[in-house]
Amino acid sequence: MLKYIVKRLAYAVLILLGVSMIIYFLIRLMPVDFIQSKVDAISQSAATVDQETVDAMYKMFGLGDNSFKGILNGYFGWLKALARFDLGTSFVYGVPVADKIVAHMGTSFTVALIATIFEFLIAIPLGITAATHQYSLRDYVVTILVMIGISLPSFFFGNMLKSWLSLKLGWFPPSGLTDASQSYTGAALILDYARHIFIPILTMVILSIGARMRMTRTNMLEVMNSDYIRTARAKGLKESVVINKHAFRNTLIPLVTSMAGLLPSLFSGAIITEQVFDLPGIGNIALQAMNRGDIPFIMGYNMFLAALSVIGVILADLMYAVVDPRVKLQ
Amino acid sequence: MDELEIKQDDAQEQEVVDTDVPLDKNVKLMSPGRMVARRFFRSKLSIIGLIMVISLFVFSFLGPLVYTRWGEIELDESGKTEYAVGSFTHTVNGVEYTIHQTTETHLKDNFLSPPSSEHILGTDDQGYDIFVRLMYGGRISLIVSFLSVFLITIIGVIMGGISGYFGGAIDNIIMRICDILMCLPGVPILLIISTILDSSNIDAKYRIYLLMIYLTFISWPGVARLVRGQILFLREQEYMVAAEAMGYSTSRKIFKHLVPNVMPQLIVQMSLSLGSMILYEATLSYLNLGVKAPYAAWGTMINIISTNQDILQNHWYVWMPAGVCIVIAVLGFNFVGDGLRDALDPKARR
Repeated sequence: MLKYIVKRLAYAVLILLGVSMIIYFLIRLMPVDFIQSKVDAISQSAATVDQETVDAMYKMFGLGDNSFKGILNGYFGWLKALARFDLGTSFVYGVPVADKIVAHMGTSFTVALIATIFEFLIAIPLGITAATHQYSLRDYVVTILVMIGISLPSFFFGNMLKSWLSLKLGWFPPSGLTDASQSYTGAALILDYARHIFIPILTMVILSIGARMRMTRTNMLEVMNSDYIRTARAKGLKESVVINKHAFRNTLIPLVTSMAGLLPSLFSGAIITEQVFDLPGIGNIALQAMNRGDIPFIMGYNMFLAALSVIGVILADLMYAVVDPRVKLQ
Repeated sequence: MDELEIKQDDAQEQEVVDTDVPLDKNVKLMSPGRMVARRFFRSKLSIIGLIMVISLFVFSFLGPLVYTRWGEIELDESGKTEYAVGSFTHTVNGVEYTIHQTTETHLKDNFLSPPSSEHILGTDDQGYDIFVRLMYGGRISLIVSFLSVFLITIIGVIMGGISGYFGGAIDNIIMRICDILMCLPGVPILLIISTILDSSNIDAKYRIYLLMIYLTFISWPGVARLVRGQILFLREQEYMVAAEAMGYSTSRKIFKHLVPNVMPQLIVQMSLSLGSMILYEATLSYLNLGVKAPYAAWGTMINIISTNQDILQNHWYVWMPAGVCIVIAVLGFNFVGDGLRDALDPKARR
């Protein structure tokens, strides 16, 4: 087991090396003067970053020199800093990129975690009823509804909910995380947060239920057709026991595995949803930085996302072995 | 087409009689293709999906030819009059008068006009006809998604085919490239690529195509893995041993004997990814990375509301129709894909 984990981690480092190469050389496809003009525009519009930092970043990323050797040197310089977890200083925000990411990760994580919990709580029972009543009216209704959910673009559905629930009915605030005009404390503050993140969470849950529900349904159908379920029925067990105790436990295997794989991605932030509701999550922060050409932030954020997805894959594989004793890691 | 199929059927039945096989005449012989088609059309959802997709095609490709009243980037310059009512008080000799004032403003473009006989779905904030722009937006979405799915499949089949057939070091290298590409974050990478396109001053019209071509370069691993997995299974089959014994060339073995057997899974994968590509394109356009003004795309038409809350609140006809079109397109492709999966699955019971 330990050997397997070490092997996988070493392998993850190799993947991340490949990702870093692609990201760096993509960035370097931009002409030098284009980068220069973007950086100038940033430092003129908001004096959050001084010339010294910009120069230091130019040196660290090797941005000034576009010859082949310059690009190679720049890449290894950046890689060296990356190995020390130094992602550089953001041009737009004027603080170290790593600090900025950590500071806004919490909001994204909270919203995504609550949304994921609700997603599982709703999708799993739906998937089970759809599977146990296969080809019935109930199955069709549930399937069609979740299919519509999958097909909705997040920016459209988010805005639709926003215009209906908050602008028209006025039940929830349309954007932001807190009410700036009030200074709440304690329970009132938490309630205020809850009111602000309600629609974003609703959007995320409705959009993501479909995939989870269909996954549950497919797995459940597979399990329901297996021999041991027939045996369980043959020995006269109640249908509810057959489904909830015998069938459901095996359906859990892929669900738990995917949950482990999902865990790191909760930190990555939902770019579109956060943009629609103007939440100060990591996705929204990154989008703004990227739109303005903040190169240190772009590269740092992309590496962060890649690392999260590598960890996700490893966790899912490990979890698979933990949940299903038939699987042996080697 | 219909007639042809019936004739083929007759011919098949004729053959059966000729060879004197004592088969009941009631037994109808069906080609595998027809069986798939029958299973596909038996499901109501796949028919609904097919109707949705076909009607969107007709709407966006034939629509602009039939409905020529407005063009994609043709402003309605019929003018618009806005009235602003204000009142203020004025005191003369101790008597207070309230004066009501109406300001009339004449504007050149007829923007944000609600649906009427002149504009079926009204006009947007610039004065473009929304109904017509929906058609042109549909063209972009459909062309772009078909093109990129096609490219992704070609690259994926070639890479997966090579990887699965040869195995060993080549397989290792290709699969490691897949691992790396699968870890690349989608939208953020496209943001970088979009900035690159910005720096090279690409024409607004062709931008989205270039962006989607870049997208295909990072999205083929899914297809490649699918093809590789199937080929690893298929190459152990007896008919491949036979092909080996016949002395076929490698490319013939891969592309004539292995790939056609992966086709069912590939077709399902393709129709499902058409839907996700439409979503991708719409998201990019919404983020103002894809099709840019004045050209129309469904995502771009919704993008207006991210800066203008008044439109979000009061002018639903500006952004709702585009969203509904996206949902219809994605839902249609998903229904068709699901129907195909059930129809092509040999283990299917119904």
